[in-house]
Amino acid sequence: MTNAAAMKPDRPALPEWVRRLPECLMIWVPLLLSAAHLVSFSLWTIWISFTPSTLVPVTGWVGLRNYTAVAASRNWQIAFDNLLLFGSAFVLLSAATGLILAILLDQRIRGENVLRSVFLYPLAVSFVVTGTVWSWLLNPGLGIQKLVHDLGWTSFKFDWLIDRDMAIWTIVIAAIWQSSGFAMALFLAGLRSVDADIIKAAQIDGAGPIRMYRRIILPSLWPITITVVVIQLQFAISTFDLVRALTNGGPGIATQLPALVVYDLMFQRSLLGRGAAAAVLMLLILLAVLLPYAAWRYLQRRRASHA
Amino acid sequence: MPITTTRRRLLAGSVATLALPALVRAQSAAKPRLTVISQWSAGSDGAAITALGKKFEEKGGVWQHSPVPGFTTEMMNKLRAQIMAGDPPACSQLKGPEIAAWSKIAPTVDLDALVAAAGYEKVVAPDLAKLHKPGGKWIALPLQIYSTNMLFLSKRAMDKAKADKIPVTWADFNDLAEKMKAGGVAYPIANGGTRPDDGQKFEAALAGISPLAYRAAIMNLEKKALEGPEVKAAFAQVRKIADWMDPNVGAQHFSTNLKRFIDGDMGMMIMGGWAQGVLRNAGFKFEDFIIAPGPSDNSKPVFLLNADAFIFWQRKEPDLQAGQTLMAQLVMDPAIQTMYSQITGSIPVRTDVDLSGEGWSDGQRRTGAALKEAIASNQAVLSLAHNMAQENGMTAAMIDVITEYVKNKTIKPEQAVARLAEAVEGAR
Amino acid sequence: MRERTFAPSRVLIYLIVLLIAAAWLAPLAVVVLNSLRTNEEIAQASMIGWPKQWAWGNYAAAWSGFCVAETCAGIRPYMLNSALVTIPAMVFSTLLGAVAGYAVSLWRFRGDTWIYAIVTLGLFLPQQMRLLPWTIVLRDIGLINTLAGLVLIHTIQGLSFTTLFCRNYYVAIPHELIRAARIDGAGFFRIFWRIILPLSPPILIVTVIWQFTHIWNEFLYGVTFTSGQQQPVTAALIALSAAVADIPQHGVQSAAVIIAALPTLLIYVLGGRYFVRGLTAGAVK
Repeated sequence: MTNAAAMKPDRPALPEWVRRLPECLMIWVPLLLSAAHLVSFSLWTIWISFTPSTLVPVTGWVGLRNYTAVAASRNWQIAFDNLLLFGSAFVLLSAATGLILAILLDQRIRGENVLRSVFLYPLAVSFVVTGTVWSWLLNPGLGIQKLVHDLGWTSFKFDWLIDRDMAIWTIVIAAIWQSSGFAMALFLAGLRSVDADIIKAAQIDGAGPIRMYRRIILPSLWPITITVVVIQLQFAISTFDLVRALTNGGPGIATQLPALVVYDLMFQRSLLGRGAAAAVLMLLILLAVLLPYAAWRYLQRRRASHA
Repeated sequence: MPITTTRRRLLAGSVATLALPALVRAQSAAKPRLTVISQWSAGSDGAAITALGKKFEEKGGVWQHSPVPGFTTEMMNKLRAQIMAGDPPACSQLKGPEIAAWSKIAPTVDLDALVAAAGYEKVVAPDLAKLHKPGGKWIALPLQIYSTNMLFLSKRAMDKAKADKIPVTWADFNDLAEKMKAGGVAYPIANGGTRPDDGQKFEAALAGISPLAYRAAIMNLEKKALEGPEVKAAFAQVRKIADWMDPNVGAQHFSTNLKRFIDGDMGMMIMGGWAQGVLRNAGFKFEDFIIAPGPSDNSKPVFLLNADAFIFWQRKEPDLQAGQTLMAQLVMDPAIQTMYSQITGSIPVRTDVDLSGEGWSDGQRRTGAALKEAIASNQAVLSLAHNMAQENGMTAAMIDVITEYVKNKTIKPEQAVARLAEAVEGAR
Repeated sequence: MRERTFAPSRVLIYLIVLLIAAAWLAPLAVVVLNSLRTNEEIAQASMIGWPKQWAWGNYAAAWSGFCVAETCAGIRPYMLNSALVTIPAMVFSTLLGAVAGYAVSLWRFRGDTWIYAIVTLGLFLPQQMRLLPWTIVLRDIGLINTLAGLVLIHTIQGLSFTTLFCRNYYVAIPHELIRAARIDGAGFFRIFWRIILPLSPPILIVTVIWQFTHIWNEFLYGVTFTSGQQQPVTAALIALSAAVADIPQHGVQSAAVIIAALPTLLIYVLGGRYFVRGLTAGAVK
């Protein structure tokens, strides 16, 4: 910025900071407001997690009691395991689904516009609606299983929704349905920006389509894959309305997820302190995932600037 | 009758004048206005609160209702935000022990004089009254009552079982379920699978086996009772109920099964009195089902109380104070309670309202009679599943154990007993 | 892959695509069919089924008929409320995010990486956790129970996404372009206005779509920070289903769901092409 200012010597002699005031305001005010709310809200939550707050925030100090209570509860333990399973399964599968859809759509097929809309429209629908509709479709007595039985195949079984070991996968299904369109859009964008010359050169060398994807196109999608994974991870961690409408944590408490536990403790059970502790634990999980990514990005950038 | 009522009201009014000079002065100065927060927005709940608002306006008041659709939690979020902002509504929906808990975070209105003037205390079930006067003073008023353990019997399923006797004890109930099963009823139990639904199965079982044990274990959280044989027997009964249910129900609302219930494909349902309103609104006929009090092993009806109520928050504005007085009088008024219950399918809080007249259903009459009998034999207890027995945190911890038990058939009753006691310790 | 291959594999591709598309459309089909069945019919049969008689009346009831407590105006007024929150919040967060992304990517200033990292971390902060802090903030600045308060929340929270995506898009703009403009004496805003903004439509479409759908579908803040007549459309939709003690009004609700989803569906169908194009143009680094 100093450079820019220095290059305008013929301007009237307003003090530099006055001239730069509007741009500084435009840059800093929104960014600072955004950063300030994130930092202060996080600090506030950390503080609350050490207080005996129940219905409303109160002052006081209970040490790590809220944390030990949360960590010892079955709900949290189940939620934690589920997050690991749901998070990794959902992120991988939705990325894979998105990639497959993108590759299919990239085959110069007819009606691409319509099909793209079909795969994207779930993004436009609210989570509550998605959860409710899928709770019907996946319910063995109402949805897919019943339909297949009515068609005559009566030994067909698809009852994951009521099976406490498999129920978490119903959330994976609904979440993939809802969000892999976004992954598809990102991947499609990536496929479309692969250099046409490289592809042509490979074709001249006689590379078949599968080889071409494996050797040339997919490797170039690597940065996009990272973006997809980050966005889907964010989705996985904050999944809340969807589960509430689809299983509400059931059967029993088999599909609890951290976001659900946080809300439940804070507002349903009126244990604000414990809810805050659960939220802090959730943020720590998140940091454990994001820090390696940040480190990777940092190294990558350094390597790029050295090259 | 109208004349005596008027005279009694006049008298009541003068008592109130003596007791509450500030409120009444305010009333004369300002047009009553009321800000209300509730979750009642749709269906019969929405219709009932709207009718109450109309009555309020007829009396010259300004009715400002802000419904918060969704779960109770969202209504509470809204209430909490208003309280934290120093702007609580003059009156809001709240029930059970939450009344005591919330009254600690913001000042409430002392309604003792108004309650005394209306003679309300004598006509309210004692356990219920206690919930609305934490610290000894009335700060909230119950409006309507449901029993959470009514027994609904499908006539067609009864025919299939060749049975005509309404089961009284749990043994009768189990017997009938077996007969239904043998007679070709696919699933003798038609309940849904939501968390409160699972909780209701357990509370109906325990209270039916022993109201005393229910009081000690669930309402008073006595460790010995929690680990006692009655709780274990209740879990064993819940297992039977769960085994007779359609495993496909998942977490669906009970109304999903109504068609199969009426068709006799399913036999019985342990559900709140509200189910009859649901059946009616779904277009089913009253001739197709029977309503009776839930099973009770000592043959006297056990009534699991679920009551909706309004809590009154302190406001300085004279018009809001006048509105609170008017609202309190309306809520306690037998005519208003009659109107309200006839819309929602509940029964009035006042035990002195006559339910024999027109506008009341058979189910409501039976519920009313059951309540009176239950109060007389001290068998009217507070529902756990509907947040009447314990604060929300404790309730949720207990329901966790119950719903897991219902859905997971590998858990043994004795394990469930241990887990329940553990959950109670953890949530204390 | 980009040349026309022979028929069998093409047929297979079409088959797979159409199968997946059918699966993707199934939930929509369920809702559309339900929107044409009466509440009673659904209650007496099943949640999934073919309409016995076409209940077109559901749409009229959903649009302007059904009651949320005393107000019997359907979802129409709530749609307006949602629009009054969504459109300003979308415009503000997109514009401010574009400026911020431009500043972070092309101007570089002291502390930019740090503040950028913090802002993007905001994507991951669960909103349940932010509910009470927002309550305190809105109380202190006197915006509780106002639509302006909701606009403020969504603008500030939306910045995380818009800044991230705009920054990633602008990073790909050649620095020479900016350098040349600076030598010509153009300042921060001039360059933004003359060079950056004309290059921006693809990415702005992405952020507009994203912000619009997220704010439109938001429920938690919408019911907590509004009062009565100001509630968003999601609140009106929930009103039709939540009562434990009542029959869910699935027919009218489904019709309402479809009407309420029209703006977001429309924006995806119309914007979908640009969505992909916007991302193609280098947003995904």
